[in-house]
Amino acid sequence: MTRETRTGGRAGRIQIEGSRFRYQREDGGGAEGEFSIASLEPGCQSVLLNRRAYRIAKGPRGEMLVNGRPLAMEIFDPRELSLRKYGPAGRGRQEISAPMPGKVVRVLVQPGDSVEAGQGLVVVEAMKMQNEMKSPAAGRVAEVRTRAGATVAAGETLIVVG
Amino acid sequence: MFGKVLVANRGEIAVRLIRALREKGIRSVAVYSDADRASLAVSLADEAAYLGPAPASESYLRIDRLLKAAQDHRAEAIHPGYGFLSENAEFAEACAKAGIVFIGPSAEAIRKMGSKTAARQIAISAGAPVVPGTQEKIQSLEQARLTARDLGYPVLLKAAAGGGGKGMRRVDREEDLSAALRDASSEALRAFASNEVYLEKKMIEPRHIEIQVLGDHYGNLIHLGERECSIQRRHQKVVEECPSPVMLQHPDLRERMGEAALRIARTAGYTNAGTMEFLVDRDLNFYFLEMNTRLQVEHPVTELVTSIDLVAWQLQIAAGERLMLAQQDIAWRGSAIECRIYAEDPENQFLPSPGRIAHLREPSGPGIRLDSGVYAGWEVPLEYDPLLAKLAAWAPTRDEAARRLARALAEYEIGGIRTNLSFFRQILADADFRAGRLSTEFLDGRSFVREALGAEEEAAAAIALAMAASASEPMAPGGQAKSAWLAAGLESLLR
Repeated sequence: MTRETRTGGRAGRIQIEGSRFRYQREDGGGAEGEFSIASLEPGCQSVLLNRRAYRIAKGPRGEMLVNGRPLAMEIFDPRELSLRKYGPAGRGRQEISAPMPGKVVRVLVQPGDSVEAGQGLVVVEAMKMQNEMKSPAAGRVAEVRTRAGATVAAGETLIVVG
Repeated sequence: MFGKVLVANRGEIAVRLIRALREKGIRSVAVYSDADRASLAVSLADEAAYLGPAPASESYLRIDRLLKAAQDHRAEAIHPGYGFLSENAEFAEACAKAGIVFIGPSAEAIRKMGSKTAARQIAISAGAPVVPGTQEKIQSLEQARLTARDLGYPVLLKAAAGGGGKGMRRVDREEDLSAALRDASSEALRAFASNEVYLEKKMIEPRHIEIQVLGDHYGNLIHLGERECSIQRRHQKVVEECPSPVMLQHPDLRERMGEAALRIARTAGYTNAGTMEFLVDRDLNFYFLEMNTRLQVEHPVTELVTSIDLVAWQLQIAAGERLMLAQQDIAWRGSAIECRIYAEDPENQFLPSPGRIAHLREPSGPGIRLDSGVYAGWEVPLEYDPLLAKLAAWAPTRDEAARRLARALAEYEIGGIRTNLSFFRQILADADFRAGRLSTEFLDGRSFVREALGAEEEAAAAIALAMAASASEPMAPGGQAKSAWLAAGLESLLR
């Protein structure tokens, strides 16, 4: 079995034949040898690589934990045309979106306002903490998609700065 | 002693209190909102009472509903925990009126010491040094401007009724004062149902060291030494320890600060457990900051080092028993360090990260104490403070305690939500932390990056993911022979 991987922006390839594996990264790094895998509990595996132990568990927000440390890795089947993806989706959007579920306390800008990089756009409260969402760059407010008092879901776009 | 006590709180502290009650043979009543029906506290308690919808203002802050629950369940006393109504004098008064014992100080003492401005006056009259600042609440922006000019920037805006860094803002320039005042008072109003704020001079690189006191109704009053809580993020304590590293070098400081705390407590007529917070400057001058008229989040480190169960004593004192401990009975043995595990994202400005705990592996072993309020499968609600658990380590020396805590942090795994575990692993590895060089500005200018993984660790993850992906396909290509358990376990990685 051969699968392509992606970690951060870096590609890699994992090949598995019986109890042998070979992992190559595009930057030249990698590892190969013998492995075995055991399921500990739902969401947690023990992988022995060349007799060294690694715990692979379900991590934060679709990532994985490798010996407790988070790792974002996606895996693809190279034979499939439709690029079926496993693992977590990447982060990073142009729009200013709610990073967590919460409530909009104040909207500080209106469509058409010009804003500086770092200028506060909207204040969102979650878990009793108010967080000001700032503009990532200078520009003009193209859209305000929320209002004070609105309940917002994680990832919901609040403001678009064009 | 009481036969039944209602726990007017949630999360890890509700679990802590329920455990203490069970150890004393007292029945416990948990309370819950719509978001907490499936909470660990409710499942551990003897009885449970529904309060109302998820927002705290409709459940955990509703005095009428808490009292009704206590009466319905025939509880003789209420333990408020920390946060919520724990420092609310009206609640203490309402309890007394309803014939229910409030486990904490008197309403009068809460009123005196719970208001930061009133507490400063008492500290001054008790002869304790205080941080320069306003004696009264800020009435107007103009008054704030003039006071801040007098004190000199930077200044701190603080909620008079507050704690935990909520309703607090550092202001470096006059032009930022107006926005900071607006945000601090609105945050204070939401968190403490009072928008009163006051101003204080911001000290440079102070240590935050607090003194635990315990007093009964017969005039017996002792202190249990200090906790150093200098490592704070946005004025919220994240790492706490006992003894303070400075006390190890200057044992007389504990005695002097302890005496100052006792003088303040005596002047206020304080009973039950309470904490005096001080700032300590580089020359070991200390200044009274405020008092917390309740059990502190970080009380476990004191318990680990003194072997005194603070919650047990709170119950005994509230039930009218005498404090059977004299000051000379208190001894400090070894070193304890605690970190507060939050559902928040250290890689993204520590934004809260509510959601379902998809995987949980908790540390244990020698010298480890875990006060947790969660379990695998628990949905961390977005309505409340994102504290999941407190992890503490005890050892004969500070260095061993730090190693032990680092070991436990490496065992701890929480999946599904983001947590600050990796942040603590990096603090524990920090040379300044290991040397005990602490200040409330410890975290300023320190960056916390994602921990790097090696090629073999990535390979292990890739194998698990590849096996999981193939297990979830109807026609799995040839790999290792898979048992149904392994296949199910692997597939669960992808869900």
